Amino acid sequence: MATIDTRVHATTVSERRELGPGVVLLTLDAAELANATRPGQYVMAIPPSGETAATALAVYETQGKLASLLFFTTGKRTRELAALHSGDRLDLIGPLGNGFDCSGDARDVAIVAGGVGIASVLLCAQRLVRLGSRVRLFYGARTAELLIESQRFADAGCELVETTDDGTRGAPGFVTDALERAPRPQAIYACGPTPMLRRVAQIANASGVRAQLSLEETFGCGIGGCWGCVVPLVRASVQAPSFPPAQAVNGDFVYARICREGPVFWAHELRW
Amino acid sequence: MSTVPSLAVRLGSLELPYPTLMGSGCYGTGEEFAPLADLTRIGAIVLKSVTRLPRLGNPMPRIVHTPAGMLNAIGLQNPGIDWYLERELHKYAERPCKLIGSVAGFSVDDYARVCERLAARAEIAAVELNVSCPNVASEGETFGCDPGLTAEVVRAARSTTDKTLIVKLSPNVTDIAAVARAAEAAGADALAVINTVRGMAIDVDAWRPRLGNVAGGLSGPAIRPIAVLAVYEAAQAVRIPIVGQGGIETLTDALEFFLAGASAISIGTANFTDPRVPGRIVTELQAYLARRGLADLGALVGKANQGFTTPHQYEGDEG
Repeated sequence: MATIDTRVHATTVSERRELGPGVVLLTLDAAELANATRPGQYVMAIPPSGETAATALAVYETQGKLASLLFFTTGKRTRELAALHSGDRLDLIGPLGNGFDCSGDARDVAIVAGGVGIASVLLCAQRLVRLGSRVRLFYGARTAELLIESQRFADAGCELVETTDDGTRGAPGFVTDALERAPRPQAIYACGPTPMLRRVAQIANASGVRAQLSLEETFGCGIGGCWGCVVPLVRASVQAPSFPPAQAVNGDFVYARICREGPVFWAHELRW
Repeated sequence: MSTVPSLAVRLGSLELPYPTLMGSGCYGTGEEFAPLADLTRIGAIVLKSVTRLPRLGNPMPRIVHTPAGMLNAIGLQNPGIDWYLERELHKYAERPCKLIGSVAGFSVDDYARVCERLAARAEIAAVELNVSCPNVASEGETFGCDPGLTAEVVRAARSTTDKTLIVKLSPNVTDIAAVARAAEAAGADALAVINTVRGMAIDVDAWRPRLGNVAGGLSGPAIRPIAVLAVYEAAQAVRIPIVGQGGIETLTDALEFFLAGASAISIGTANFTDPRVPGRIVTELQAYLARRGLADLGALVGKANQGFTTPHQYEGDEG
């Protein structure tokens, strides 16, 4: 949920780097945001042109007064952000969302990232390594040049298992296949495309491993006001919004807002 | 002129310090936006519509971004009026601005019963009748697309409360003036013009509709010219005030609506671009009035009204 720190931050781009084809890393001078952000939280980037809806972006890394955003340019909104340069102003709403629970109880952890999902898990990986957990990163992308930042995770102390759909690097196939082949971890953290997350949930639920999934969806407002991004959740979940009993609505689930109650949900509590 | 121009507006018996309403379903309960916007600098929040029975809402996806706007099909997700009154509404009481309740329904009786109970609550300053939701298998919108049914709903709701009743009209009609007149005659205090425009988007990779509900409501700048014309037409048809809405993002947009005949405006989708938009419009509107030496908004309302182009220009033009 929105924390007391959530507000509009006026930030300045301090560095812009291209990490791969259409992959941009914006580092921002954003002391308060960097200080307030927990692993798995995101921001809504207000378009400088004012001509599109705000864009939800994971906070990739925080360091001192710097916060960075890593994203793939996929449409009009991300193209506008990708066109920013050092010195440009970027206003952000954040930090938003519940983020991952990185309490470090599990000693052997798997992080599963697919494509741009990698942007949501670096802070989580750093935290878990710091807490003394063994962290294996299962990281998949379509092709080798989109497997960005692997070294960054290796440097952070993660063991890497890479996959590409086309076999140009790492094991060929889906990252979830690699996860399934590997010895079971005690906990799973995952972010990526919905089909990947569904498969991670199946694997985790079948083996009784607790998995936290950071869901991706098209947002309207991104802050809980419009109910445009929902996911069916078991009513018993602590994240389930208050709603009339199942018999009154003919459904044993309730819709939770991905932006507000999430974006991180327990795999075993989703009813998708 | 040294006095600060007034932005106050009156809709029926409802007095607002600013002419800016936050559109229903676009501003949550106000709590979500409170850290991001100054709620003392907005006119009122129109709360999300509530129905007689609880509704889970539509399946995902519910939002699709489109050129200059977005499609939504939320499907009136709400806990129903019982739960809403018992467990939700009291939480909103501390908002530093007025709250307008919104009622949706599937029968005349639905509207009347929900309106009566909602309007009876002290937290609610006025009621908007949502007779134009396009996202519930066209049932909800049926009322707003028919002048006779609109009148029935308004008359039934009118008999339950003295608080200001705003009727939100659909743009998906042939003659919005006829619906506007029907609502006025049945006792509406104000009209909200317009709700979203029906639309659809298709995923050409998957060969299927992009919205879970197939059809949705288009909002944002894409529909602004449609909304300006609807306000212009409705304003000439009725004497009650109009709340203009549809893609308002800037002072210029707001001025278009006032000049077309709106007494107030409503801001919805623009809050998804930047929650500072309503505050900015209020500040700039005040400066605009001061610069022009105008004492209040009344000096703007409907001032672009020239009727319609005289028919003789087209006489003889058969091609």
